[in-house]
Amino acid sequence: MDPRQRRQARRTALVLALVALALYAGFIAYAVLQHTHH
Amino acid sequence: MANIEHAGATHAEHGGHAEHDHKPIGFWHRWLTSTNHKDIGTMYLVFSCVMFFVGGSFAMLIRLELFKPGMQFFDPGLFNNFTTMHALIMIFGALMPAFVGLANWMIPMQVGAPDMALPRMNNFSFWILPFAFMLLIGSVFVPGGGLAGGWTMYPPLMVQSGYALPMAIFAFHLMGASSIMGAINVIVTIMNMRAPGMSLLRMPMFVWTWLITAFLLIAVMPVLAGAVTMLLTDHFFGTSFFNAAGGGDPVMFQHIFWFFGHPEVYILILPTFGIVSEIIPTFARKRLFGYDAMIYATASIGFLSFIVWAHHMFTVGLPLASELFFMLSTMLIAIPTGVKVFNWSATLYRGSLSFEPPMLWALAFLFMFTIGGLSGLMLAMAPADFQYQDTYFVVAHFHYVLVPGSVFGIIGGVYYWLPKWTGHMYNMKLAKWHFWLSTVFVNVLFFPQHFLGLAGMPRRIPDYATQFTDWNMVSSIGGFCFGASQILFPIIIWQCVRGGERASGRVWEGAQGLEWELPSPAPYHSWVEAPAMATLEHGAPVHQTHG
Repeated sequence: MDPRQRRQARRTALVLALVALALYAGFIAYAVLQHTHH
Repeated sequence: MANIEHAGATHAEHGGHAEHDHKPIGFWHRWLTSTNHKDIGTMYLVFSCVMFFVGGSFAMLIRLELFKPGMQFFDPGLFNNFTTMHALIMIFGALMPAFVGLANWMIPMQVGAPDMALPRMNNFSFWILPFAFMLLIGSVFVPGGGLAGGWTMYPPLMVQSGYALPMAIFAFHLMGASSIMGAINVIVTIMNMRAPGMSLLRMPMFVWTWLITAFLLIAVMPVLAGAVTMLLTDHFFGTSFFNAAGGGDPVMFQHIFWFFGHPEVYILILPTFGIVSEIIPTFARKRLFGYDAMIYATASIGFLSFIVWAHHMFTVGLPLASELFFMLSTMLIAIPTGVKVFNWSATLYRGSLSFEPPMLWALAFLFMFTIGGLSGLMLAMAPADFQYQDTYFVVAHFHYVLVPGSVFGIIGGVYYWLPKWTGHMYNMKLAKWHFWLSTVFVNVLFFPQHFLGLAGMPRRIPDYATQFTDWNMVSSIGGFCFGASQILFPIIIWQCVRGGERASGRVWEGAQGLEWELPSPAPYHSWVEAPAMATLEHGAPVHQTHG
């Protein structure tokens, strides 16, 4: 893996990890909103 | 071969590879700290095999209790604990790690990469798992008893659990983190490390199906983690996400759970589709029929898996419009799945077939997965589902999908690639015995459960009305024999690791793809130099695929 490839790999991994975290937080936030809405 | 120049060929030409291996010295150093994709793949597969037998032991206890009516050995709470643990261990401990193990071994070799893109994270993903399962299995022995609410973990039943609940929830978070890291690694490897010339539409089907599976994993594992985090706060911190008394909604848990749970079903089957798509062309000695259509069908199944979740909830009281939507969207899945089944059949048509063990498992998959698919269509019909809901018909359906579907695919894949991993051929006769015993008894085990379900026997019960006795006895006998026949599997693998007839690089006459260009066993470090493959198609040189 050359340095450019490595940087690209890390960037892709970071984006995917952030998507996962956003989904985790997003679903809990959705449930909180549902709850407060009632 | 003319267009393929690579390190692997150099190994093969020199008639060996040991001098290039550079394996870490010492058992613990090698296996605890390994960042090598083959070592980590092996650890995943060994872990999965152990969990397969642990989960299988729970299944044996379930079938033992259900052998005849009346309470035989276990109280109902313990029985429900067995069903819960059986499901959780088989799904998260046996099937998913097996696929990740196969991905670790095969994806870098198939795309011409020297390793996974993020090797240290790969090691971390694996070593989380044993701790997660120590927690999960340990939860069986804590005060208050183990989890007994089923793998779906519905509240309010689940929040009535004792200390087992936080242990299991922590275990789910660990498993989720492991799966997400594994999925990220797969995506990054495929997107960044393919050999020059291997465009997306030239990748082997196993790589394609795993790429789609990895996106599903990243999309849904956090959703499961969110759902169980909320269960935890409901239980310990006084929130009322799912507690009706506090203004919460238990049905919301079901929606969130199945938004994870249905794609999870496809996570458990799509890599098998990839394995079967590798095996059938090899032993039919033909190219895969409709390669592009297979990819689009897999992607369509992946997409549709996100819009069908409430078909698991037809009886909770959904609005009629929702029932119609989820019924029709579920039925739509039959189209891409049908495309795949017909394409596999078309690949077989007028092929020069031979029936080595991997092909036998792939063919059994084709027939029996289709049975599971068809009973799934029956369950998709909302009015009919009101009758089938929570009966043994559902148990029969998903076991046909997961055992002769996913498990047979994994076993077929292991028999397909095992000579490449070990450098030896395995005992073909014993492997065929393994196949025939498994195929006969898996049907003795699960087919009668269709009858029991249609006759009204509910699932997740330790006792039943006497009219269900005969088929339960048949099912239990099938279960014990199926379980016993699986003991052959580690024996065959162990013999093959220890020795046997030397395997050639290509192993199977009709095998195509980059992994078969490497010698057997594959060198510890393969594709150190990327293969040059200007004329490569579907992971195999064009002149071979058109042969």
